[in-house]
Amino acid sequence: MSNFTTQLLSGNEAVALGAWQAGCRVGAAYPGTPSSEILPALLECGRRLGGDVYCEWSVNEKVALEVAHGAAIAGARALAAMKHVGLNVAADPFFTIAYTGIEAGLVVVSADDPGLHSSQNEQDNRFYARHAGVPLLEPSDSQEACDFARLAFRLSEEHDLPVMLRLTTRVAHSRAPATFVAERSNREPAGAPINAAKYVMIPANAARRHVRQVEHLRAVAEWAEDAPINRVEDGVGDVGFMTGGLAYQYLREVMPDAPVLRLGLLYPLPERLVRSFAERYARTIVAEEGEPFLHEQVSALGVRAERMPDGLRLGELTVERLRAALAELGLLPAATDPPAAPRSDLPARPPVLCPGCAHRAAFAALRRLGVFVAGDIGCYTLAALEPLAALHTCLAMGAGLNQAHGIAKATGGKRKPVAVIGDSTFTHMGLPGLLNAVYNGGDYVTVILDNRSTAMTGGQDHPGTGRTLMGGEAPAIDFAAVARALGVSLVLQVLEGGADRIESALRQAMEHDGPAVVICSGPCPLRYNVRSEPLKVVSDECQECGRCLDIACPALAWDEVAERPVIDQALCTGCGLCAEECPFGAIARAGEGSAR
Amino acid sequence: MTTNVLFAGVGGQGIVTASDVLAQAAMVAGWSVKKAETHGMAQRGGSVVSHVRFSADGQVYSPLIPAGEAGFLVALEVLEGLRWLWMLRASGRIVCDDRRIPPITVSSGNARYPADAAERVAERGVLVPATAEASGLGEPRAANAVLLGALSPFLEIPTGAWRAAFAERLKPRALSVNWDAFARGRAFADVAP
Repeated sequence: MSNFTTQLLSGNEAVALGAWQAGCRVGAAYPGTPSSEILPALLECGRRLGGDVYCEWSVNEKVALEVAHGAAIAGARALAAMKHVGLNVAADPFFTIAYTGIEAGLVVVSADDPGLHSSQNEQDNRFYARHAGVPLLEPSDSQEACDFARLAFRLSEEHDLPVMLRLTTRVAHSRAPATFVAERSNREPAGAPINAAKYVMIPANAARRHVRQVEHLRAVAEWAEDAPINRVEDGVGDVGFMTGGLAYQYLREVMPDAPVLRLGLLYPLPERLVRSFAERYARTIVAEEGEPFLHEQVSALGVRAERMPDGLRLGELTVERLRAALAELGLLPAATDPPAAPRSDLPARPPVLCPGCAHRAAFAALRRLGVFVAGDIGCYTLAALEPLAALHTCLAMGAGLNQAHGIAKATGGKRKPVAVIGDSTFTHMGLPGLLNAVYNGGDYVTVILDNRSTAMTGGQDHPGTGRTLMGGEAPAIDFAAVARALGVSLVLQVLEGGADRIESALRQAMEHDGPAVVICSGPCPLRYNVRSEPLKVVSDECQECGRCLDIACPALAWDEVAERPVIDQALCTGCGLCAEECPFGAIARAGEGSAR
Repeated sequence: MTTNVLFAGVGGQGIVTASDVLAQAAMVAGWSVKKAETHGMAQRGGSVVSHVRFSADGQVYSPLIPAGEAGFLVALEVLEGLRWLWMLRASGRIVCDDRRIPPITVSSGNARYPADAAERVAERGVLVPATAEASGLGEPRAANAVLLGALSPFLEIPTGAWRAAFAERLKPRALSVNWDAFARGRAFADVAP
C-alpha cells in the first residue's frame, strides 16, 4: 500500500511536484507571472523529499530552454518554465528541438494569461504546440497539473519529442487538493551521446529529423485514442460537448449532466475518438477559453461542431460568460435578471510603485525633462500611469532600447529619446540592444534602473544580485563595466540618488554625442526592507500646491479635513523624494522642524 | 451546497494568506475546495481579490465565484468592500475592516473617496476595527486573522480545522499572534456563534 498524501497545492506547485515525481533533475526558467513559482517549488521538492534537483534562473527563456535541452540530451529529465510571452523568446530553439528530440524527457511549461492579469498580451500558446509539432497537455486543476506533469515526461521520453504543458493563470494560481505519492522515478544521466544525425541540425539531418518528428506525432495521436486523459463522460441530452483545460471545470459548473468529451491532450487530437463522439449527438459544441484552437482542429477533421461566440476570444472565460454563450447557442434559457456587474462610479485603485521605490526618483527626473521615454517590462512600467505618466511605451522585454534607437534614427538630431530598462530586463534582452546602439551609432540615452531584484514577479535573483536560485553566491554583474566594454563612451552611475542628482546625470547624457548609459541604483524596498525615518508635512510651510502628490507615492494622500497633503507614517520609508519635490521646504523628517 | 467567500483588499494586505487559511481549513474539514488568487502586477498596491469555494456534499468545479453568487465578502479596506459588494448574492454578508486606504486616484486629487462608503458597507454586514484590534496585539498585519475570526461563526468549520490551517499556512513565529487575533475577531461577528 503506497503512502498517499493530500495537500492544497497551487497549479504551479503541483506541476513542480509532478516533475519531481517524474525524476526531473534540471529546471531552468526566467521568472514571469503566472509561471514564477514553479522552479522554487521544484527545488523545494528536491530539498524536502530528496533526489538531485538543480534549478536556475536563466537570463531569458531561450537560454532556459536550451539549458533544459542540453540536460535532456545528457540523459537528465529536464523542465523549462515560462510565461506565455516567454515562449516567443524561446520559440527559436522550441521549433527545432521538436526535430532533434531528446534522450531523457523534456517538458516545456507555458503559463498563459487570458485576461491579461499581469501581461502585455493574451496570446494563446496552444497554437505554438501545433505550429512546432509538439504534443500539448493541458490540466484543469492542481490534481491534473501534478498528474499531467508526470505524464508529460513519460510521453516525451517514449516519443522522443519535447512536450508542452500549458497552464493558464487560473490553474497556475488556483489552489485545490492534490493527492500524490512521494515517490520519484530515477534516471541517472548517462552523458550526452555523440549523435550528429540527431543533434546537428544542418539541412540534410534536419530534413530527416522532420520526417521522424511527423512519425512520432502520429504515434502520440494513436496513443491518444484510448489514453485515459482523453475520456468520454456520458450524460443526458442530445448535445455533446468537447472541451479541455480549465473550460472543462466551467462547463461542469454550468452543465453538470451534459455528455462531455474531455481532452487532456489537446494536440495531436485522437481523430477516431473525436469523430465517434460527435456522431452520437445531434449537436456538438466545443467549449474552450480563448481562441477557437480546438474547434479549428475538430473542424479540420470534417467533424461538424459549433464554437463559442466570437466575443469569448477576448478576455478570460468565466462561469457567467460561458452561461451567456450557451444561452446564445440556445442551450440554456436566456437570463431574465440583468447579470450582477461591478460599479463603475467608484475611484479606481490601480497598482502603483511601492513607497520608497528606488525607480520613482528617476521618473520624477525624467518628467522634469519632458522627454520621450521608451519603456520596458517590470515594476517601472507602472510609471506609465497617472499621475506620474512618465513612460511612453511598453512592448516586449528589451524593446525600449531599440524603439528609442529607431525614434532617434527617424527624427535625427532633434531631441534625444530615453530608454528605461530594469536590471533584470537588461540582462534578459537589453544587452543586444545596447550593442546594436554602439554598432549603429545610436543617439539615445539608456537608463538602467537597478534595484537588485526581479521585483515585479516576486523579487527573484538575476545576474546582478550576486546570488543564484540554488542559494549560492555568484559574481554580481557590473552594469557600468558591461556598458563600457560594449563601447558606450559615456556611462554615469547615480547611487541611491534623488531626482536632482538623476536629473543632472540625465542632462549630461542628453548632451553627449552617441549612446550614453545612466545607471540609477537603489535597492528594492520590498525585497531588501529598506527604511529610514519617515517624513511629515510641516503645516506652517505647506502651501497646499499638491506637487508632492504628483510622484504617485502611496504614503502621501490629500487630507480633506486639513486640506493639505499628509504622510502615512506607517507606509513612509523615508526616501525623501517628496521633500525634494516640495518647492516650499514643507516636508521634513518626522523628528525635525522645517527642512529649511 | 457550495459556500463562496470572496476576499478583497489592497495588494500587500495579506489577502492571499487569509484566503489560504480558509481554503486549508475547509480541506482539513474534509470538504471539496478550490481557490483562486491574484499575483504579479496587480499586487503592487492595486485592488486585489481571492476567491474561496468549498462544499461539504458536492464537487467544486470553477475556482472563481460566479458573479453575484458570493455568500460572504471579507474586505480589508472599506472602499474595496464597497467595490466588491456586487459579487454578493442577495442574502450575502460582508465582514469589513473599518480601515480606509485612499487609492492613488484619490490621493492625487483626481477622485474622491466615497463619503458614504462605510455606511453602504454596513448595510450589508459588519464593520470591524480589525487593524486597530490587531495593532492592539502588536501586529497590525494580523487584521486579516481578526476578520477570519469575525467570519468564522457563519461557517461550520470546526475550531480544530481552523487551528490546523493557521499552523499550516503561517510562519511559526506569526502563529500565536494570528490565533489571538482570530479569537478577538469572533467577538465581532454579528450573529450568535
